[in-house]
Amino acid sequence: MRNIWLIIKREYVERVRTKSFIISTILFPALMLGFVIVPGKLAGMKTGGTRHIVVVSDNADFANAVKAQLATSRNVKYAVDVNTSPSEALRAQLKSDVSNTKLDGFLWLTDDVVKSRKVTYVARETSDFIEVGSMESALRTSVLRQQLMSHGAAASDIDAMMKDFDLEAVALKGGQEQKSNGPGQFISAIVLVMMLYMTLLIYGMSVMRSVLEEKTSRVMEVVLSSAKASELMAGKVLGVGAVGLTQIAIWILLAAAASAPALLAMAGVKDSGFSFKLGTLPAFAVFFVLGYMLYSTLFAALGAMVNSEQEAQQWQTFVTLPIVVPVMMMMFVIRQPNAPVSVWMSMVPFFSPILMYLRIVVQTPPWWQIALSIALLVVTIWGVIWLCSRIYRVGILMYGKKPTLPEIMKWVKYA
Amino acid sequence: MKNTVELIQVRKTFDHFVAVDDLSMDIPAGTVYGLLGPNGAGKTSTIRMMIGITVPDSGEVRIFGQAFDRKQLTNIGYLPEERGLYKKMKIIDQLVFLAELKGVSARDARARATSWCERLELTEWMPKKVEELSKGMQQKVQFIAAMLHDPDLLILDEPFSGLDPSNTVVMKDVLLEAKKAGKTILFSTHRMDTVERLCDSICLIDHGKAVLTGELREVKSRYGRNNVQVEYEGDASFLDDPALVQSFNNYGKYVEVRMQPGADPQKLLHRAAASCRVSKFELMEPSLEEIFIDVVGKSELPAAARGAHA
Repeated sequence: MRNIWLIIKREYVERVRTKSFIISTILFPALMLGFVIVPGKLAGMKTGGTRHIVVVSDNADFANAVKAQLATSRNVKYAVDVNTSPSEALRAQLKSDVSNTKLDGFLWLTDDVVKSRKVTYVARETSDFIEVGSMESALRTSVLRQQLMSHGAAASDIDAMMKDFDLEAVALKGGQEQKSNGPGQFISAIVLVMMLYMTLLIYGMSVMRSVLEEKTSRVMEVVLSSAKASELMAGKVLGVGAVGLTQIAIWILLAAAASAPALLAMAGVKDSGFSFKLGTLPAFAVFFVLGYMLYSTLFAALGAMVNSEQEAQQWQTFVTLPIVVPVMMMMFVIRQPNAPVSVWMSMVPFFSPILMYLRIVVQTPPWWQIALSIALLVVTIWGVIWLCSRIYRVGILMYGKKPTLPEIMKWVKYA
Repeated sequence: MKNTVELIQVRKTFDHFVAVDDLSMDIPAGTVYGLLGPNGAGKTSTIRMMIGITVPDSGEVRIFGQAFDRKQLTNIGYLPEERGLYKKMKIIDQLVFLAELKGVSARDARARATSWCERLELTEWMPKKVEELSKGMQQKVQFIAAMLHDPDLLILDEPFSGLDPSNTVVMKDVLLEAKKAGKTILFSTHRMDTVERLCDSICLIDHGKAVLTGELREVKSRYGRNNVQVEYEGDASFLDDPALVQSFNNYGKYVEVRMQPGADPQKLLHRAAASCRVSKFELMEPSLEEIFIDVVGKSELPAAARGAHA
């Protein structure tokens, strides 16, 4: 035990001290922020100040309705002039104004054009699909309003009719109503599962690299003259795992600190859109630890088998594939967490760390399914450790030769 | 306790390859013992069984008079042939870690490592990483790692390979001092010159079997003084006399000749003087290298040099 502890300590201290640990700890959240927030912000950013456009229509009421709708546009700010005397001369004038940058664009909404439902918007830049979209919806609403008005509806009735809906999905479970977790959960599920996936992969691979480094630098033999191969492997897996947990803990704390003001502000709002069940954090810890044990043990055996990074890459796919499969299934499971395929795939030990956790986040499955998947996972881990420690023990002392599968089978049988 | 290490009919096979073949060996306490043999003879496999990296298929390994037990590892120091340290780790941390694995407390380990580094002129390198050190310095660090927990049995696999002459002298002094302090030292090497100067006893193994064992002096005298070294210029045809010459190693400028048992070296001198200029003619003890080559067989050396790692 003392030896395992010493090996864990060395692995942990040496790793946490490295620049790459510090950098990745800071960089990962920064990248995540970058990937999630920046494109969203950019896409939703109000484009370069106010757009000055002219709405041309025979009908002043309609033109003003369009103007009012455009003013509510969230993405682009418009300054709208209304012109109610369409003519070819005006059209030519407006065109030249647009090309001379006196004007940003104009909407040609004569009655016949509106009737044909083929409207032209002339501007210098028309590639902004968000702007075009908001213009379309403004037109649609205005046309609808105008037609309802012409049928004698009161303005207040129209407003009431056009109010947005709020849909709340409720799942029935054993007669009990259960609020579905909604789109907020959907985003946090993806973020957390990607985090689980990446840390499993990254830390599994660092176990492999670390074993390989000990093997190629031949320091292995010195350590083996004091500690057993099994102690070395256990210490390595646990030490690197502790580093992984530390990093995740830092990330979660950072995220909590960063979002605390926002969360507090949201506390008063009933449906904030983004919700996160703190209750799933223990499940995250459980599935990270179990998944990590499973994959890092496989990676440790892999590191012991091969003689170089290049050789490792050829075998790596066998270990990384079972991590990638559940990520590919993620969307399906989020949409149909209780479909038979989702249920049974989340029982398969190599997939369950990601898929069962995902199901728990999206819609908590019956307890027996969680228990069964954890039990199967634990049994598998036990078997994998038994197998891999045997491969490891022999592999770390085998230099030079590229192992073949029958050879590795033989290692397992060695006393 | 008379013998520090006893191997009794120890056997180790890998698949169908017999690495160690019913080997028996006694290493007396307080001696410097040479485990010799060509590459692939089974030296490393033998040593690995003494330090519990592998377990013999049959036979017994006894250390300090008891059946092998992992607890004894804290009293054994090991310098493997393939040197290895954690490249990114600082020297001092590395030494402390390795000593802690041998049961030394962190504080003691730090103090001892510091004084060893002073002695081997590594003090200023202590906070540096291993990868910044030269090969020779890494070698010294590894050497310290093997000695740091003050073991009673030191197992050194090719300890002097890759060391420059001045560092070799430093290491030898350290080893002789350890011997004086009553430690047992096991050398594994195929370099005979170091063995001749340092070892009290040897065991020569080949194909996993002991082919020659005993005290160095006794082994040498067993081979007798029927060796001749001749420095000559010119025709070497005087060597072609099977009645006189049993075998020879011709180094070009001089030749080492092993005489046939009972043959008179004077006759060889006459023959040599008749065909070439002789500048030196000396009767000598066989060098260990000759004994080695003689026992193992010349023909095997090139094959062995290719280095099958067992």
